[in-house]
Amino acid sequence: MSNLSGNAYALTVLSPIKPGIVADEEIAYADKVRSILLGWNELKNSPMTAVPQTYLCRYFVLDNPYTESLPGGGALDTISDWLPVVPDWLRRAVMPAHDQLKSRYLVFSANVHVGPSGDIAPYLRGMWQAIRPQIESIWQYCYGFDEVKDADGFAAYIQRCALPASLFFVGSNDEALPEQLKALYIKQEFAKFAVANQGLPTATLRQHFRDFMTRIAPHELAAPTWEPGKYRLP
Amino acid sequence: MSNIAGKAYAMNVITPIRWYTVWLNKVIFWAALKNPSTLKGLITLSLIHYARWVIIGRNQFPHVHPSQPKEDLKYAYMLFFSNFNGSWDQYVDSFTFAIPSGLDMFWKWNIRYPKSVALTPFHKYIRYNQLDTLHYYNAYPLATSNDVKSARIVKAKLLDFDGATRESSDGEFAREYRKLLRDLQHDLGDMYPTPIVSMSAYQVERRQRWHDGQLDGSKH
Repeated sequence: MSNLSGNAYALTVLSPIKPGIVADEEIAYADKVRSILLGWNELKNSPMTAVPQTYLCRYFVLDNPYTESLPGGGALDTISDWLPVVPDWLRRAVMPAHDQLKSRYLVFSANVHVGPSGDIAPYLRGMWQAIRPQIESIWQYCYGFDEVKDADGFAAYIQRCALPASLFFVGSNDEALPEQLKALYIKQEFAKFAVANQGLPTATLRQHFRDFMTRIAPHELAAPTWEPGKYRLP
Repeated sequence: MSNIAGKAYAMNVITPIRWYTVWLNKVIFWAALKNPSTLKGLITLSLIHYARWVIIGRNQFPHVHPSQPKEDLKYAYMLFFSNFNGSWDQYVDSFTFAIPSGLDMFWKWNIRYPKSVALTPFHKYIRYNQLDTLHYYNAYPLATSNDVKSARIVKAKLLDFDGATRESSDGEFAREYRKLLRDLQHDLGDMYPTPIVSMSAYQVERRQRWHDGQLDGSKH
């Protein structure tokens, strides 16, 4: 399946937003969704920090596709230059058409760790359990979400809104997120250790190293480590 | 708008494809998937965390409720999502300079794709078709893709070293320790926040400064 690369999964969700208006605010549902998502940027950190195994994810609202009409680089574009006899009506006829979507779509695109099963449902159930109020605050404006009552319902709904990737490229790695965060913590700490322990007698260096390994507890994923979304250093 | 989360930039690009050439694009992606050596160029662009291409047929926009109107579109669409480190220009230019043929292959059948060389028309094409992200979350805003990859190496080599030197003499320990540092020269290095780690972090810090009386409230 092309959504899967190793243990990493590319989730692409387009949920159609209803055309209604939020009565007391007099704004369209799509703009309300936009406003809530922008509000998440004002919080101490993203609600997605609480969703296990999320490497990176994004939300936006798709109002319409774009149609631009710059000169193209296709073969026919070039041939038209060689044939000055191509009539004006034919030249105009190759202008791109203008598509208009009938619904606006909430786009949720995430790169997550799912493990060897390749099943996205457990991730989605975990997302519901972690941030149900935030999920409801934005998806309530989407078609079909009224029927979502629990984690299984959410997982099923999102999978109905999901689109398969044609190609998924993992340029990083597909380890579980706690493994990645622990490794980043270790890398940061060991870089500091190497700088701070230069030129010491071997016995001292060795003792410091033992203390260092005890402190960083490399096999303990829970702590000490970097918490998801950590953006400041002490 | 929040296209930036720490050291990652979120790019979303939507481009139209004629419905009758969608199969060609799908064949190209299928061939790339079956033959990973074709992605070697992408791998050299080590600034990428994750990237994906999604083709939506003109009748394939999700339809989840009977009351939702069905789309009636002339074109199919290709969505491209990327998470990369560095600036927009660095990323788009690195595509042009590192893998122009691969890029042309993936976008070849998209309407009015100008090819990746020369730069200016390509920049205009991407910018015109790019959609801004409203909320972008990154689990490791302090790290680049290379940091994530090298952290795995550092951890593995550190554990190997620890296991191999527990019973060794001091001389051996010192020799192996120096070897470890030499081996890890490309992988070690401190990670620090970028000037704007994320829009949310920026907002939080700005609010804090305002509360501390260091900012004029009217400019908040």
